[in-house]
Amino acid sequence: MSNTYIPIQMKVERIEIEDPDKALRTFDLVFVNEEDKKNFEYMPGQFCEWSLLGLGESPFGIASSPTETDFLRFTVSRTGSVTNEIHYLREGDTIGIRGPMGNWYPVEKFKGGNVVIIGGGFAFTTLRSLIVYMLEHREDYGDITVIYGARAPELFIYKDEISEWQKRDDIDIQLTIDNPADGWDGRTGFVPAVTKEIAPSTENTWVVVCGPPIMIKFTLPVLSELKFADDRIYTSLERRMKCGIGKCGRCNIGSKYICIDGPVFSLAELKKIPEAF
Amino acid sequence: MKELRETVKSLLTEGKVDLVIGWEKGTMPGASTPVFIDTAEKADSLIFDSTCRNNLSVYFTKDRRELAKDDKKIGVVVKGCDSRSLVLNITEKQIDREKVTIIGVPCNGVLDMKKVTGKVDGKEILEFTDDGERVTVKGREFEQTFPLDEVISDSCVTCVRRDAVEHDLFIGEAREPGSDENAYVEVEEFEKLDSGERWARMEQEYSACIRCYACRNVCPSCYCNVCFVDQNDPQWIGKSPEITDTMIFHIIRNLHVAGRCVECGACERACPMDIKLLLLNRKVAKEVRDRFGSVTGTGLENKPAMADFKEDENQDFIMG
Amino acid sequence: MIRIEKERIDEFIRTLMETRAVYAPALDGKNTMFAPVEDPAGIDHNIFNTDKSPKEIFFPHSEVLFEYEGEEIKKVERDVRPIVVWGLRGCDARSLRLLDKVFGSAWQKPGNDMFEDPYWKEKYDDAIIFGTACNEPRSTCFCNWFGSGPHDDAGMDVKVVDTEEAFILDPVSEKGKKFIGSLKGWAEATKKDLATIKAVREKAEGLMGEAFGMEGIAEKMADLFFKPVWDDIGAKCVNCGACAFICSTCHCFDVQDEGKKGKKGKRIRIWDTCMFPLFTKEASGHNPRDMSKDRLRQRFMHKFSYFISNYDEHLCTGCGRCVSVCPVNLDIRDVVRAVMTSEA
Repeated sequence: MSNTYIPIQMKVERIEIEDPDKALRTFDLVFVNEEDKKNFEYMPGQFCEWSLLGLGESPFGIASSPTETDFLRFTVSRTGSVTNEIHYLREGDTIGIRGPMGNWYPVEKFKGGNVVIIGGGFAFTTLRSLIVYMLEHREDYGDITVIYGARAPELFIYKDEISEWQKRDDIDIQLTIDNPADGWDGRTGFVPAVTKEIAPSTENTWVVVCGPPIMIKFTLPVLSELKFADDRIYTSLERRMKCGIGKCGRCNIGSKYICIDGPVFSLAELKKIPEAF
Repeated sequence: MKELRETVKSLLTEGKVDLVIGWEKGTMPGASTPVFIDTAEKADSLIFDSTCRNNLSVYFTKDRRELAKDDKKIGVVVKGCDSRSLVLNITEKQIDREKVTIIGVPCNGVLDMKKVTGKVDGKEILEFTDDGERVTVKGREFEQTFPLDEVISDSCVTCVRRDAVEHDLFIGEAREPGSDENAYVEVEEFEKLDSGERWARMEQEYSACIRCYACRNVCPSCYCNVCFVDQNDPQWIGKSPEITDTMIFHIIRNLHVAGRCVECGACERACPMDIKLLLLNRKVAKEVRDRFGSVTGTGLENKPAMADFKEDENQDFIMG
Repeated sequence: MIRIEKERIDEFIRTLMETRAVYAPALDGKNTMFAPVEDPAGIDHNIFNTDKSPKEIFFPHSEVLFEYEGEEIKKVERDVRPIVVWGLRGCDARSLRLLDKVFGSAWQKPGNDMFEDPYWKEKYDDAIIFGTACNEPRSTCFCNWFGSGPHDDAGMDVKVVDTEEAFILDPVSEKGKKFIGSLKGWAEATKKDLATIKAVREKAEGLMGEAFGMEGIAEKMADLFFKPVWDDIGAKCVNCGACAFICSTCHCFDVQDEGKKGKKGKRIRIWDTCMFPLFTKEASGHNPRDMSKDRLRQRFMHKFSYFISNYDEHLCTGCGRCVSVCPVNLDIRDVVRAVMTSEA
């Protein structure tokens, strides 16, 4: 029997600092053992438990796409003791991960449809995975629209890659910052308001929303106003987590466990769960 | 009991209080359970007897502290020890004296159910009655009566303040406190052991701990917003029931309630593993009495010993 | 069915001990619990429901998942002998079966053994459960609320009935039949034994209180999620973990590393409970279940609503331990009654 509590050994291959405060770091990890690499199959939206021996574990969404076979990418915000230690990691260090865990964005269901991706702040990680995945399978999808908001221009993550996407004509990138800033000629305003302004058509369209709870809370009513059906809206939730396999009992919302039934839920599913918001 | 119910009814109907916290009959023989009475009709369920083991002052602290913050006027039924908790909480500014109506009831000690079942060789008790002096228990094939004094909690055996030290109303006649000269006999016995023996004894007791924190949660003196064991960044203490961490928890809790513990024994009665928690608390209380002449919660004008400083107080322990 | 005279019970237990680790009720200090048997003479066959539940045989309070030194991970050696549990009551046997649904299964991920719990399975899968029928249930017992009863054998491999003269062993599972079939030198149960079993069973069932109707509780609880009934129920709860830690079915846990980074240490899992604020408190400081009432509600929702949604059973077997230990006598039976009689 395999033992899911035992972490897979990974090596930190590349580290990139994403913001001026150095509170966000992106890590590209590579498998130490070829066997682990072969067995590790994932989809956009899934997550891993990072495991630092002596410190504990923390769950992070996978920011790379399964089409990027050479590495696993994660972006980690420094908030607690484990993430603090993660920020001390250097290229070449080894760490453990467990996963992939949870479900994923329903990319099969999205096939043939338009997809609107709405993101905020550093929660853009699994959305990056989704975008890269869809761009790699571009012919499977209709229009792809990305609405991405951050407090200030320097707080967008994956800035270089976003610039590349902006040059393409097969994806519409709409960036917005909370308040006007020097040198910013893009949109300003909160994500819900910008979404309302852009007003994407509901016609054969799926929406994925991922960001801080407050952004999700105010974006969902806008989507309903725009007449998106509840079962066409997907979001990804977070809770405190330990085992990641539906046993330890702490990440539930109602009868669902974020770690195995989620983290991706449709709004239709969430509306049936009293604790969800 | 009748007088208690009538008193509470008139407090509620006259609008002197919005809510009264008391005890009602529990679901097992020999058990009571806390009850929140907000209408006169409900007051008929109130009881007071030796089954009223909880210290209801706990409902003014912790998560429930909004009870005391509301503009609600709250009445609470108290034994002597419970009243001392209220006094402590009032002096520590957790409760507004003006908003609380203290109803004293005459206490003859509360039950230690392990002592009761011990009397009947562990047989199941199906009925329990208490006339204030004697208790009678009945089971499937037995009936036995014995003096209440023989089955009350250890904390009650040595208690010299059985009736409320601070109250607005008293059901019956409140008795004057006795002398606490001989209140610490079991502590004195414990002190006779050498340090190794004392440690071994404590380890033996605490090794049964399952870290459920019932002792902490029923304690009106233990009301930190976030307890040190509930912090994880940084985490101060290991979480397994391993003896070292368990001892750290109990000793820190003990020191944290030094000069603040009223020795009500609620912790010990709450312990599902029957750990004799009070011994260490009482050892500390004895130190506080002997060094600072302070008995916790006995007067609104007295600050808790550790929150007070007098130039002439005993400082031997600092000088070493 | 085989018959073991009382004076030969130690001999029988000794035969079990030859190949297996035997656990039986024992007094440790002031409390009763299931402990490894070293000498069969030390077993107290009259202990009713142990103070501590037997879940710890298979799911210890603190269990080492692995040890580490620097970046190296080492598995821990454990007693590999299969386990026998002797003297388990029906409620507890069913509790283990419920826990097996959580730990032993690959819930919703058929064929993916990544989601089975190896630490549970290596102990429970090979275990043989000797369950003792209750001849004298207590007033705190309410197994019959869940369609069970004092002589129910669900979750047992071998059902044991104490007839005063002898223990009658009735193999009920395939595993139990195979095991009892392999034994030699024990008499068959007599007709008189069977008559006695029938009599004690009827007597025991007669001692149970009336069962409370639980039909529809999952939906009812879900409907009441935001209702004031939870304020009423939760008012007196002091939010300790006594009920959960003493419970035979509560199984939530925490994972912790003991031993600093880069040094020697171990990763352990430890019992945890939804009653504690830290259980769901996030690194940001946000806590989805901030109030004590929210946490209390979670515990009962898990038992009587969520678990039913996920596994079709109540996560409670009516052992009554929490009834006895709750420091404020917040009786789980009263919670169920309050919920079932509330208006949605």
